[in-house]
Amino acid sequence: MSKPSWGKYGTWEEAESYLGKVIGEDVGVDAVELGSIRRWLEPKEFDCALHTDRKAANDAGYRDVLAPSTMVFSYGLPSYWSPEDGHARIDDEPRQIPIPVIFDVPAPCTLSFASNIDMEFFEPMYIGDTITRTSRLADISHKELRVGKGAFMTQEDTYTNQNDEKVAVVLLTIFRFVPPERKEG
Amino acid sequence: MDMDVRRSISSVSVGNTLGPISIPVTLQRLVMEAGANRDFSLIHHDRDVARATGAPDAYMNTFFIAGMFERLLREWMGPRGRINKIVNLRMKVFNCVGDTAVFKGTVEGLDTTNNQVTVSLSSETDNGITVTADATVTLPNS
Repeated sequence: MSKPSWGKYGTWEEAESYLGKVIGEDVGVDAVELGSIRRWLEPKEFDCALHTDRKAANDAGYRDVLAPSTMVFSYGLPSYWSPEDGHARIDDEPRQIPIPVIFDVPAPCTLSFASNIDMEFFEPMYIGDTITRTSRLADISHKELRVGKGAFMTQEDTYTNQNDEKVAVVLLTIFRFVPPERKEG
Repeated sequence: MDMDVRRSISSVSVGNTLGPISIPVTLQRLVMEAGANRDFSLIHHDRDVARATGAPDAYMNTFFIAGMFERLLREWMGPRGRINKIVNLRMKVFNCVGDTAVFKGTVEGLDTTNNQVTVSLSSETDNGITVTADATVTLPNS
């Protein structure tokens, strides 16, 4: 069984040197298309013709079928495997989802939990669109909680389409911390 | 979904409710969801790994929950409404295998100058409120 990953270890000075900087960028490996939309709708029992039928989308004022807004996370993901990766071995570590790039920022922390997510949506995602995610380290707010001492670290993910139009902006806040030392006796 | 639903700003009042809609959280559904949303974190489909991290069982991920909130909003608004924001999404308790997650909302405010409606959202199971969030949507005039 693999251990969860808690991020790179470093100093707060190192962490703060990343503030405002791009800490990750991925080009979505799959363009928006009907098959992936249908498979996304299925487990949610979500039946909406805006996402399956061009005429219904046109009737509602859209130029084509559009993907659900919250599908933007999935369309911004890179591949989990490509030929240059070579072939996997049975004892390889499981692949982690690459969105929480906060874990690539070094910080003196050993544990974490996700705290808050804000999503704002702009241009619709239409069939054929390709989505890019650009992540910046937006904030570090130091705090001591019951679970330990650390900081709320916020990444701002801007999702754009192939025309560089803004599709969504997502703020993801994760509290990274070290638990208090146990007192002996 | 009924595509004839035409929720308009003039038809909405503070206190109106959305849903409820419910979804049984089975391991098969979590696997289907992982394949569809491509978040393959083990805690969302491997029960042993989830339990080793302190959760009671494998549990719904953020993408799944956000998607269920989108379904709730869409079914209430109809095809002409637009989702502007889903914010303050906070997970309080896991939505685990074996739970039935119930999603619902309440209209909290109206801004008739720009046709915007604010809605509080939640999901709950037998363990109580599991996730909360707030949304802003735009509705047509008629």
